[in-house]
Amino acid sequence: MESLKLAARNGRERTVIKVKDVEIGKGFVVIAGPCSVESEEQMLITAQKVKEAGATMLRGGAFKPRTSPYSFQGLGLQGLKILEKASKATGLPVVTEVVDPRDVSWVCEYADVLQIGTRNMQNFALLKEVGKANKPVLLKRGMYSSLKEWLYSIEYILSEGNPNVILCERGIRTFETYTRNTLDLSAVPAMKELSHLPIIIDPSHATGKPSLIEPMSLAAVSAGADGIIVEVHYKPEEALSDKEQALTPEQFDLMMRKIRRLVAFHHQLEKEFNHHEFHE
Amino acid sequence: MKIEDLRKKLSKIDYQLIKLLDARMELVLKLRRLKKNTTEAIEEMNLAGDLQKLSQGLIDPEFYRKFYQEVLTEGKRILDSDYKLIAFQGEHGAYSEVAARVWDDSLIPIPCTEFTEIFEELEAGIYDYGIVPVENNTGGVVNKVNQLILNTKLYVVGAVELHIHHCLLAPQGCDYRELHAVYSHTQALEQCRQFLARNKLQPIPYYDTAGAAKMLAEDPPPSSAAIASKLAAELYNLEIIKENIEDFDQNITRFLVFSRQPNKEKGQKCSIVFSTAHKAGTLFRVLEVFAKRKINLTRIESLPNLQGSFAFFLDFEGDQHDSKIKEALEEAKKLTTDFRLMGCYNEKKAE
Repeated sequence: MESLKLAARNGRERTVIKVKDVEIGKGFVVIAGPCSVESEEQMLITAQKVKEAGATMLRGGAFKPRTSPYSFQGLGLQGLKILEKASKATGLPVVTEVVDPRDVSWVCEYADVLQIGTRNMQNFALLKEVGKANKPVLLKRGMYSSLKEWLYSIEYILSEGNPNVILCERGIRTFETYTRNTLDLSAVPAMKELSHLPIIIDPSHATGKPSLIEPMSLAAVSAGADGIIVEVHYKPEEALSDKEQALTPEQFDLMMRKIRRLVAFHHQLEKEFNHHEFHE
Repeated sequence: MKIEDLRKKLSKIDYQLIKLLDARMELVLKLRRLKKNTTEAIEEMNLAGDLQKLSQGLIDPEFYRKFYQEVLTEGKRILDSDYKLIAFQGEHGAYSEVAARVWDDSLIPIPCTEFTEIFEELEAGIYDYGIVPVENNTGGVVNKVNQLILNTKLYVVGAVELHIHHCLLAPQGCDYRELHAVYSHTQALEQCRQFLARNKLQPIPYYDTAGAAKMLAEDPPPSSAAIASKLAAELYNLEIIKENIEDFDQNITRFLVFSRQPNKEKGQKCSIVFSTAHKAGTLFRVLEVFAKRKINLTRIESLPNLQGSFAFFLDFEGDQHDSKIKEALEEAKKLTTDFRLMGCYNEKKAE
């Protein structure tokens, strides 16, 4: 992959991306929050709950790329204002999706990390725009994309001058219908071989089932992922989008306790085997 | 014409009705001070009744009679309430008004076009107080104001230290992605330069921050926004696209509140103004008076005065009745010319 001048590993040091006090690519980050920002109450309460459980960053969508144009499209600017408020209240940085190149600078004013969703992984106009932004980008893998195509999308962003790209494996389309997508966990170590950028997984979209989120999150820790991004809603049954896959704050808290134990275990393991690819 | 356009026009007229009534009542309040008694002021207002002759005949004259009766009754209530007025420079929603509300939110802020108007009309008794900016930590001294302070006999009765937080405002329902021109006072535009550049917005100088907000509410040019206070957003029903857009968060303006009577309560701070003889070391000797008594100076400013020499403004901590302050003032008086204690007062700070 000669033409991947910037995205390829090529013996480079692993990239660590600093977002306020959080370092992605060092330790295990947990980004949690609702699928969509629905109201101030929903966002503030959920943010407080995920913080108490140990999340290090917040997620929440203000602009939603929905399959149907009649589904809830997000609160837009109002949603960004609520996210900023939740971020100030909890001290947690915010990740939010951007879908329109004209929104990029405005989302930068409100959020700490710009997310490019799976449907936009090859929206090159958008990639170029976030490549010029002064905020890190969380680039989700396209649901039909190969690792190679993903790497070229990364290259688009890096070549515009933004060095801070976080990768996110969120499941790909297969013949399987029981799960929403199929989590390609092998993408984690594979992308670590191919690229120098940190990679996290999204167990919520990958499985679409709350019961599968925890096992896949724990598997991600063991696979060497740098973190997870997970959907948590203070009242999942009332969520305006993705209600069938959101964890309750209680389920999230339980999962977090297991994650911490497993991360500590891997830390031990790394010391014992001096495995250079594991986290400190 | 589309139904939304008609609705928009209607709400604009309703907005104007309210703003006009506000402005009318402010004038009544100013009139009160110029008239010998309030009944005379009310008679003046009765002239408004003649306005029904201007009607196009669509509206029942009886409606006008009832409407003005209501307006007059409210006007009388306002007059009888004995509101205290504080004058500020700029349009409603100016940072000076924000500061006035911080100092005492029971006062009625009245806008003035010029700083001179504040001093002249306050001296003439139209207002009870006047509030003016004297210095900004990024933009320096407000020279025009300091010239006026130098030549007034009014007393300083309060001070406000205000953190200036600029907001990007746009008409309700506009698409923020379509914005490209931003109107505001040059100083505000300068303080948000990086923000404007990041969002590819074109700065356009305007006479006043709140004036730009008012213009947006009344007659917005296409794709335009304004930089002004949060208060301006409320008063002109504008949408806040982004709060705190200033490039540096330490943007503080200090305001002084003036009155015809000195402050009678115990104060934390004193302001004096004086001149010295054109000789070596005279200013130093005055400062020494404060230094040897360990009185903390908080501001010193020099200004050329009309006599061709220099006037000095000095602020320091303490109350004029404290013994060491009393001594210092006595001693400083002997070393200076045109010495005046402008006031001893309390200072409020607002984030």
